Amino acid sequence: MSVDINIIDSLNLFEDISHAELEEVASLMRRIRVTEGEVITRQGNTANSIFILLSGNFMVFFKEGRSYTLHNKGDIIGLSTLILPFYYTGTAVALTDGDVISIPGQELLRLIESNSALGGKIMKKINQIISARQPFVTGRC
Amino acid sequence: MYGLDAISAHNGWQLAALGTSIVFTGLIILSLAISQIHKVLELWDERYAYYQRIKKFMQIKHRSEATVSDPVLPKNVKESARQFKLLIDQMGEPFSLPKLLDFSKKCGLLHSHSSVNDLLQAKLIIPDGNGYFFWNHDVEKNIKISTKTSS
Repeated sequence: MSVDINIIDSLNLFEDISHAELEEVASLMRRIRVTEGEVITRQGNTANSIFILLSGNFMVFFKEGRSYTLHNKGDIIGLSTLILPFYYTGTAVALTDGDVISIPGQELLRLIESNSALGGKIMKKINQIISARQPFVTGRC
Repeated sequence: MYGLDAISAHNGWQLAALGTSIVFTGLIILSLAISQIHKVLELWDERYAYYQRIKKFMQIKHRSEATVSDPVLPKNVKESARQFKLLIDQMGEPFSLPKLLDFSKKCGLLHSHSSVNDLLQAKLIIPDGNGYFFWNHDVEKNIKISTKTSS
């Protein structure tokens, strides 16, 4: 299912992006329905898609049982898709039914590389999220 | 009149004593202030850490205040709370959320994911900030109070 540009326009990740750039990003997106208990990323698997929450509640957990939960529209799962070595560092599971936007990692990376201004804006936001979540991954909270 | 007589006649001794005590009191206060300068400098050096600590404390306080003000929960959440509380008592605190889910599945609880989410939303389960979770006893007490009053 394709994604309405008005939906992604309201997301924090894309707030600094122009309408033309948004259309480019939206063309890569697919809306997916997830059900309670469904695993959307698995730790150690190749990170091939990044997910943006539209609705529902999710838990991301790591080795040694550390975890955090995501409940807000615009929260992101699968950031490893954009970072070497492209393996998911956590397992994400849906706590309730919900909707997510899926973006294929390879295509998003290609877009970021081809459009440095757009790439810079997206990566800036993503780096902020990564630095906030890094302690959960490394266990150095 | 001259000499000691003049001093005595014009309260010279009292004035001298007062002057001395003022000077010494000032010196004592000054020496105490100087002796504590290292603490002020330490506070200044660690100001961001202290700020973060205060911010964290205020957030926890705000969170607990928010939870106390909203004790009304649906009946099924109360039942989930009762069941999950037993599991958490077995596991100990702080507990791992994925392990709690595994444990609940092994115990045959239905819809354990959404039940855990309900408990998270109700602030009965709260994060410790290190990737693990606590049971919120304040909210639990309020649920018990509301159950008594409703019955």
